[in-house]
Amino acid sequence: MFPSMKTNTDPQRRDLDTRILAWMQEASEPKNWIPNEARFEELSLACFRFQFKHCESYANYCRKIPKTPDSIQSWKEIPSVPTEAFKTLTLTSFPSENAVHVFRTSGSTAAKRGELHLDTLELYEASLLPTFARHLFPDIDPKKCNAFFLAADAQEAPDSSLSHMFSTAAARLHFAKSQFFLRQGKLEIAALISELETSISQRTPVALLGTAFSFVHCLDALRERKLRLQLPPGSRILETGGFKGRSREYPAAELYALLSTHFGVDSSHIVNQYGMTELGSQFYDSNLLAPEQPRRKLGPPWTRVLCIDSETDREVPDGEIGILRIFDLANTGSLIALQTADIGRKIADGFEVLGRQTGAETRGCSIAADALLLENARERR
Amino acid sequence: MNAAERIKIQKNVCDARRYLLEQPTQKIVECLSRVLDDLRDPQSAARITLAGELPSAVGFSPETTREGLARGFAAWNGATLRQLIERELGPLDKMDQTSSCRVSGFDSTAILLAGAIPMPTILAMLAPLVLRSPVLVKPSTHDSVTPRVFAKILSALDPDLGSCVQVVPFASTDHDALTAFLAAPCIVATGSDTTIQNIASMLHPTQRFVGYGHRLSVAILGPDAVSSSNITRIANGIALDVALWDQLGCLSPVGIYLVHDDPDAANRLANALAQALRKAEGDWPRGRIDAKTAAQIAQERAEAEMRSAAGKSVHVYSSSGTGWTVIREEDATPRANPLHRFLRVAPVRDIHQLKQALLPLSPHLAAVALDGFGAATPSLVRMLVELGASRICLPGTMQSPPLAWHHDNRGVLTPLARFTDLEL
Repeated sequence: MFPSMKTNTDPQRRDLDTRILAWMQEASEPKNWIPNEARFEELSLACFRFQFKHCESYANYCRKIPKTPDSIQSWKEIPSVPTEAFKTLTLTSFPSENAVHVFRTSGSTAAKRGELHLDTLELYEASLLPTFARHLFPDIDPKKCNAFFLAADAQEAPDSSLSHMFSTAAARLHFAKSQFFLRQGKLEIAALISELETSISQRTPVALLGTAFSFVHCLDALRERKLRLQLPPGSRILETGGFKGRSREYPAAELYALLSTHFGVDSSHIVNQYGMTELGSQFYDSNLLAPEQPRRKLGPPWTRVLCIDSETDREVPDGEIGILRIFDLANTGSLIALQTADIGRKIADGFEVLGRQTGAETRGCSIAADALLLENARERR
Repeated sequence: MNAAERIKIQKNVCDARRYLLEQPTQKIVECLSRVLDDLRDPQSAARITLAGELPSAVGFSPETTREGLARGFAAWNGATLRQLIERELGPLDKMDQTSSCRVSGFDSTAILLAGAIPMPTILAMLAPLVLRSPVLVKPSTHDSVTPRVFAKILSALDPDLGSCVQVVPFASTDHDALTAFLAAPCIVATGSDTTIQNIASMLHPTQRFVGYGHRLSVAILGPDAVSSSNITRIANGIALDVALWDQLGCLSPVGIYLVHDDPDAANRLANALAQALRKAEGDWPRGRIDAKTAAQIAQERAEAEMRSAAGKSVHVYSSSGTGWTVIREEDATPRANPLHRFLRVAPVRDIHQLKQALLPLSPHLAAVALDGFGAATPSLVRMLVELGASRICLPGTMQSPPLAWHHDNRGVLTPLARFTDLEL
């Protein structure tokens, strides 16, 4: 389905990818889902050395800070690049002609969109699959679920990392049935309702996945039809992307209450995914995986998250609010250390997101879907 | 706000309107002039209250608040109020007498406030009273202090006139209160363009709506601005314009455009601005910011550093914390500005390039600080007038607009007035 695999010619890179892929493959066994600190330290420092050598603008940035491979001891010291920089620079650690795929952040044509250039999708997919399965289906075999996506598939939206993620999951997790319901910018609500009703009559659990704003459009349609569904037990919802400054915005609690009311899925079975185009890995709410514990975001063992004080650029004490800095070994082809503009705080082995970047420079996947839907609404008028 | 409270407010408004219609305009203006005099006096109880309470309520530092109040109210007094009235409505002594054009206000004026700066709040509350329209005010979530202080001064000077102003805080989610509030015949609102659009959509076409949406200001500097005799003065002036109210008002510059054919001139200007902002931080420390704003500042700085590392002509000057930032940009491409003393210096080669850079901003353009163009100044002014700037002034004066400034290119009083021409 994804023919865009390419063998890396750089032996150092090949070695790094092989070792990281091995970790990702091991992690498909739950007992191997271990945040091995020594392994992460070694691989992240090796990635830093490689990226310092192959991404000139990043190397210049590191020298200016100054933090170079020779001067740091720990992954925590690896210089992070701001996600905003992906809007103005092509940040790769491979020759640009080797790029086989580009993911773009959402946004209008007027706004500058961030771009992640990839020379392989292998790590991207190897990272997403076990993480997705572990956090969304810890209690049920995906083969026993229908997966319905309120998003365009990867063929229709090739530059959307979210569509790619959903398409990869649909292709590899062998759901009982899977279908995408955003086509040519239009949410096919009648078809979706029909499939949901069929699932209800067949008592097949449903996984309903989409951006927060696509759910708002969906809820509008259900309310117009005065329709409340009761999806079969075991059904679950994954929402991602937030609202990012859209004119209609619901607090999460309100959105979850509406989703519960209209789909009959308890908020304990609604999972938020935190991800971004610039990252190869994603983070998920813990509520399905660890229902007895406080809800928090969890990521795969090859990622780390720090909460940083903007004033001092140092880690804040556990539990205090800071900006989220993410380290992700799935990013060998670009840069593994990213500075987001999102704020949050650490909770035990995970973290909580308290606010995402908003305003004129919006980003994220929710708007892409919303822009499509709004555009379509305008055309209809 | 419950139904009984809403009914009581409505009754008060009717009583207030009746009272105001019986008063000579001269008397009302006299009292409002004394309010302005009071606010101008740093020793008055009102000024002491504002200077004392705004820092903790809004987040500005005490030093910034004191300086902002002093400069903001410096030119606001009874005389300038009378001049404003005469310019927009005609001679004060004839307003209540027979004339071919009668001016009246609405039965009530409801004001939705959004900002954190006291001067626009004071003016918004004062203007309808000149036209004998009782005022209902929903305070901004950022500043609950100023409306209360204004109402208190007015009541102290004239209890009857004070009763014509009602401050009615209610939650944005209180739809019944909002509906009742928006039933006033004249509505004034400040806020984002989306807010203004939403409010407008809730009103009847017969209601008067005066909306003040998103606005921003810039500084435009010519070749003379970077001469050794001017650069420090101008940088200090811009630093003051930025430091006051922590760049949160629509009159603080968010960008500096330098028209110069020498690329190094932008470096010199950015360096001078950095020094001036460093000094300003000592005199008027920046107020508190939340984690989200700090994150945005850190993000924009790091993004600029990355562009610099990639070989672009970008340079970042900043405090060790997030106190202030100056980014010398390579060009005039519009970029995000997290405010709170964050400046971008954009070099442009000539006036044509400047106009191209300003065109996307023109629907939102408020004030422009202009300096350094010598004999070319009139042509710059012409261009800025065409672009819709509502105020052109010198660096260092942006935060002290005259009382009669045409905010959003409009009058202060005329948008709130009804004119009746007599042809008998």
